[in-house]
Amino acid sequence: MPWLLAAIPLAGAIVALTSWEDSERVKKFSMIGSIFSLVSVVGLAGFLTIPPNGCLSLYLLPLAALTSILSHPLGSDHRLSWIMTLVCLGFGIGALTALEFSGSFFLMMLLITLVILLYRHHTALWPISWWGVGLLILGLVGVGISMIADPPVSSIAALVTCALLLPLVPLHGGYLTTVTRLPGNLPSFVVVLLPVIGFQRLPQILSTVPEDVLVIVRTLALLGALYAAVKALAQSRVRLILSYGSLSFFSIAWWFAATSGFATPQGTLLVGAVGLATSGLLIAWQVIRTRYGDDVDPQAISGLAAAMPKFAVLLSLLGLAAMGIPPFGVFAGFMGLMLTSSQASVFGLFLTLAAWLAASWYIMQMVQQLLFGASRPELRYTDLLNPELISLAIVVVVLLALGLVPSALFAPEQPILEQAAHSRELFSWRN
Amino acid sequence: MAELEQGLNIESRRMELRGIVRLAGEVIAQYWPMRTFVHHNPLHSIEYLSFEEAVRRGKQFVGGNGYLPGHVYRKFLRTGRIQVTHLDDALKPLILDKSVLLGTHRITHGSVLRACLAEGLCSPVIEPLDDQLPDLSRHTIDNLAARLRPVTVFPDLSERISAMVSRDEAALGRWLTLSHWCDDTLGTQIVQQINDQLIKWCEAFLDEGHATWAMPERDKGLYAAWKALASHEWSVCDIPNSREKIAQLPDYPEDALLESLDAMGIPANLRQDYLSLQLTSLPGWAGFIKWRGEERDYPWQQAYPAGLVKFLAIRQWYARELVQKACQGHLGIQGRFDVVTDYMHGHAEEYYLRRQRVAGLLPALYAEEVDRLAHRRGAGWKAVLDRYKMDVVPRQETAKLRGAAKQLLSLIRFLEIDVGCLNECSVTDLKQLVDWMEAFPESEHGPVWLKALETSYQEHLLQKLRTRPNDPAHSSTNRPYSQSVYCIDVRSEPFRRHLESVGPHETYGFAGFFAAFIRYRAWGKEHDTEQFPVIMRAKNEVREIPRSYLDDTVLKHEVRARWVHAGHTLLHDLKENVVTPYVMVESLGWFYGFPIFGKTLIPALYHRLTAWFRKLSAPSLPTTLTVDKLAPGETAEMLDAEQQALVRKALQERLGLRSSMITPPLVEALRQRALGVDKDPQSSVVTQEAARARLTPEMVNELVETLQRQYDLNARAVSRHKERITRTGFTLEEQVLTVDTALHMMGLTKNFARLVFFCAHGSTSDNNPYESALDCGACGGNEGKPNARVLAMMANNLTVRERLKKTGIDIPTDTHFIAGQMNTTTDEVQLFDLEDVPPTHRADLARLQDDLKEASRLTSQERCGRFPEVQQALPERTAQAHVRKRSVDWSQVRPEWGLSNNTSFIIGRRELTKGLDLNGRVFLHSYDYREDPSNRLLEVLLTAPQVVAQWINMEHYFSAVDNEVYGSGSKIYHNVVGRFGVMSGPWSDLRLGLARQTVMNGDIPYHEPMRLLTIVEAPRKGIEKLITRHDVLQHYYHNQWVHLVVLDPHDGGWYRYQPNGEWTCIAPQVVEHVE
Repeated sequence: MPWLLAAIPLAGAIVALTSWEDSERVKKFSMIGSIFSLVSVVGLAGFLTIPPNGCLSLYLLPLAALTSILSHPLGSDHRLSWIMTLVCLGFGIGALTALEFSGSFFLMMLLITLVILLYRHHTALWPISWWGVGLLILGLVGVGISMIADPPVSSIAALVTCALLLPLVPLHGGYLTTVTRLPGNLPSFVVVLLPVIGFQRLPQILSTVPEDVLVIVRTLALLGALYAAVKALAQSRVRLILSYGSLSFFSIAWWFAATSGFATPQGTLLVGAVGLATSGLLIAWQVIRTRYGDDVDPQAISGLAAAMPKFAVLLSLLGLAAMGIPPFGVFAGFMGLMLTSSQASVFGLFLTLAAWLAASWYIMQMVQQLLFGASRPELRYTDLLNPELISLAIVVVVLLALGLVPSALFAPEQPILEQAAHSRELFSWRN
Repeated sequence: MAELEQGLNIESRRMELRGIVRLAGEVIAQYWPMRTFVHHNPLHSIEYLSFEEAVRRGKQFVGGNGYLPGHVYRKFLRTGRIQVTHLDDALKPLILDKSVLLGTHRITHGSVLRACLAEGLCSPVIEPLDDQLPDLSRHTIDNLAARLRPVTVFPDLSERISAMVSRDEAALGRWLTLSHWCDDTLGTQIVQQINDQLIKWCEAFLDEGHATWAMPERDKGLYAAWKALASHEWSVCDIPNSREKIAQLPDYPEDALLESLDAMGIPANLRQDYLSLQLTSLPGWAGFIKWRGEERDYPWQQAYPAGLVKFLAIRQWYARELVQKACQGHLGIQGRFDVVTDYMHGHAEEYYLRRQRVAGLLPALYAEEVDRLAHRRGAGWKAVLDRYKMDVVPRQETAKLRGAAKQLLSLIRFLEIDVGCLNECSVTDLKQLVDWMEAFPESEHGPVWLKALETSYQEHLLQKLRTRPNDPAHSSTNRPYSQSVYCIDVRSEPFRRHLESVGPHETYGFAGFFAAFIRYRAWGKEHDTEQFPVIMRAKNEVREIPRSYLDDTVLKHEVRARWVHAGHTLLHDLKENVVTPYVMVESLGWFYGFPIFGKTLIPALYHRLTAWFRKLSAPSLPTTLTVDKLAPGETAEMLDAEQQALVRKALQERLGLRSSMITPPLVEALRQRALGVDKDPQSSVVTQEAARARLTPEMVNELVETLQRQYDLNARAVSRHKERITRTGFTLEEQVLTVDTALHMMGLTKNFARLVFFCAHGSTSDNNPYESALDCGACGGNEGKPNARVLAMMANNLTVRERLKKTGIDIPTDTHFIAGQMNTTTDEVQLFDLEDVPPTHRADLARLQDDLKEASRLTSQERCGRFPEVQQALPERTAQAHVRKRSVDWSQVRPEWGLSNNTSFIIGRRELTKGLDLNGRVFLHSYDYREDPSNRLLEVLLTAPQVVAQWINMEHYFSAVDNEVYGSGSKIYHNVVGRFGVMSGPWSDLRLGLARQTVMNGDIPYHEPMRLLTIVEAPRKGIEKLITRHDVLQHYYHNQWVHLVVLDPHDGGWYRYQPNGEWTCIAPQVVEHVE
């Protein structure tokens, strides 16, 4: 079944490739591929082994692929990124659904694809980051070692890979590099893809790594949450603000997971919602770049609230969602984690709350900068085009749904301890 | 000797500086306190410049636009508000006799300019370096851009840099202060920081009783008070050693300002412009201080003096320190004019990149690079610029070519020419088209649009006026039911029209102060109001007093009023005290629920209830006015009575004596001692009476001193008071002159009706800081009621009438003058002094009242059609209820909306306009040129009422064209400050002009901004002489602030006065052409 699910987007990619000359058809086929993938995932989810933290990640991936492709402007330069979105989606679904070696195979394919893309694509604005590429290669090596080595080496190697996917300081460079340097619409997709795969793999690792390592992970997660928040505050480029901002939230997810020793559906909700909200904000930034050029200085754009009202409304909602304001998914995930983590220390909670509050600062500052202030009369303002509007609206509605719909819908109701036991059982092949 | 010379030198420098500041202040308009809101031209001080030039100056100094945005004018064009023919006429002076052949189509220069206007082709759009928006014409645009490239010359980057440096050097001091320069170059926010500080200090210092805790040391004046307090502030804008620096500033503001200017090295020839720029950074506060500085008699100014020199001394100190800090911190240079200029020349590349960075014109990568270099004070500027030149400049050029190609494509689409024709045209011709469009940027469109809009309206109005038969010889000899005189205000026009339609009533227009220049004090009030145009001065004072037969009632009324006042004071004190609000909110807070719910849910009913309660607690009393002068004996008697009342009050307040202990001899003796009449401290009367009241000699001496010092009972104060009392009322000659002037000016000199009605106007609205803006502008932003009463009382005086006969005005004995006031928000008319109406006129009065009510209903009905929320025509009674409700609705942002949309001023006989629906847009002043052979009256009309009309017109004009700068923005954010103005939010400049809701209907102006059109029915020769005689008229007509059209009775022709002083006949066919 996992192979089938992975094959659908990959087949879509091949079909899109056949129309290479016509960028409009490439985009259309890529979107159809994403839709088929979404339908197949929803339809076949019942036939899969449901992981302890639910199927939410699985649903989010094709959705994120669809919105990221849909929002992107037509242009021959973007064909590769649309097709590669389907390729990554296929590998991603495979990594999420397949067990044992198949899963690792898909993950390796995904990392190799990303490394190749990063190696081939770089601009003056975003020059090649050898550090980021190197870290992704390290992740690749980690997957390999975890496949062949015995514990605890395999566990540590898997943890490193996991820390690269669901970014954890100091291994966050790979994530940052992909979000900032991948071409076209890919950043707004990988920002969902990598963290959800990482979080999906977390239960098996947490149950096997020694407690001492978990202590280090907890410490790194807390420090990382604060570090990323401070870094986000100091950035001027939108992609970096969003990368560091999401890193801060993912670090919080790491801390909760490392503290409790298992990954819950609430954790998945937080990771998925943060990824999706960040993806939405990246799409919103793409809207600006479409109008004013790829290398537009964000500080030079202001007063969009009056000139682009539809964009302003959706950007505001996305901003609210990303900073963890109810009733959106990020808030629901965060509160769910807080309420279900009985072992969390007060100090740790205080630091995570501080990181959470910092998000209100940097995200609000960014949104405020774009929407308010004086409109520049020499800029041409064009409000959202239909594909952009639909894409952003889907993201907002899904984020709203994640906040309002009971988490039981994405994951079976199981007591936490039972889930932990289940995860141990599920991944007992490692011990 | 040397010291003396130095002293003289300092004093001469101070004087010179004061002169410079006075001239620098010309660019800002005075700001009148809003309780007497005065409509005025925000660019009034520079009316000696042409309208277009003044608008440019306005843009330079305050950043305000002088014309509506192009898209609004284009909307006017699409809706037919502007005719295409008028647009073409307005364009004519700009059109060149050139054309370009595009295939078989000949494109003229004129058609290109028209396309620029109608399609907005010349909007100042910067093409993004690579936009990716889908565009079906992308291929055509790219082709066109490629064709244009060989013939397009782009200036080299180094040329652009040196041009920018030269331009900025020229602008520094004239258009840019050093603070602005730092903000634009270094990304600092110095201007904002200084403004924040100045707002803080001005708000505290200029407060007129709004603040619960007043700023201390205000009596020292603005500068000294600031110096005394700011030198204790912990940290002032992070300026190092700010406390010591402020404490060491000179005592005289002139010296401090000179010191700052010298420290910043501002060249002497630039100081006036430089200080103008400083003032225009906060035009509201500076305007109010300018007004205060010129109103030396203003009580708050006398108590707490403020002036522009003081204001600038403070402002400039902040500027000097912050500029120094920024220049040192960012560039390592002195914050001086010459050093900054040297920097621009010496580090041109760095300067260019910094400016581009702050302006948001650099790509993100370069912006970051510039930030990095600026942070590290690195030396890599040249390398970055080289890279920029290689990487960005070519892309900029491509983007510019694409922009030109898009323009060309839009042009041929507008001209309905096939796109394929572009290929048949030579590249040089294409470039020619682009050049024509570039040479006519949108910033140049305003004057053309304005002219077209004005012409469209003016021709329509003139056509209407021409439809009226013009026969001055024909005049009705039938005696009308009544003659009534209304203010020239545009809001009177619908009412007059409706009153004339309901019966044989004659109406006249006259400035609402009715030629009575009075300072007025209403009964029970503590302050005077100035009931005349602000450009005039008061000659006489008038007081409202209860009628003489009401002595007993007055006492009761006073007691009740005192209780009400005490209740108000108690409530206020409880609210504002430090402790009591905690208790008060719990105990009395609930009661505030009644007014909140009442005003919100049932405003009309709530208003009726409160009015009834107010009537019950302190009913109003019939009053009269002190129109006649007092005889000397009466003056002395009045003074004595007032002084004795003061002594009694002091005895009760200071010594706690009961009334029974205070005997008249004691009071009189103390009064005389205080006034110095009785200089003997051992006077037997005083001693005896004091002993009877058990007062020791020490107590008596102390009381006398208190009376002199605190109760103003001394010879000097009495003399002042006496002089003031002698100004009260009018002498007989003054009364005759006033009535004669008024009747002559309005042309009412014969065929008097039995009732002549002087109708003033006022307004009622709730929760409206701008309430006085709805009152009578001719009465200084007050209600005109006292003026109407004064004139009616004078005209009813039989002695006055006798004298008037000698001047040719024979008022029949059965003519009675009556005063009243129209409420312009409810359209109701209230009549005054009805008890003076002779019994023989009861029937006339009843008929007039009925007709006034009917006219009022019709006017309300007409006005309701203009409110945006009223979708369909309302029946008369519903309309009346609707306008009443608006007047008491505290959430209503447009309680009246009558004065907006004014356009013209007609000076002539009513026959010219009678029966015409002028839509409440025209000021109407009655004038019969046959009564004024010497043009003396016309001279007054053109130099006074016309000025008021022009001020109102310009206030609306500028508030409509740039509401954020010249207007006061949305009412939603308004907060009253200091009881004299409004701010937007809690912290802003004092907002000038009119609110957005007053002049705009959504995004479209409700007030169509046009310059005033004055239409005069009088011989041209006389008008020419008047224009030659008065600068103000030359400024208006030659500088095109006002359009003048004359109906010359000699030949019945209509003439337009041109800016060059010539007349052009307005041919009838032109008017027909519009139809």
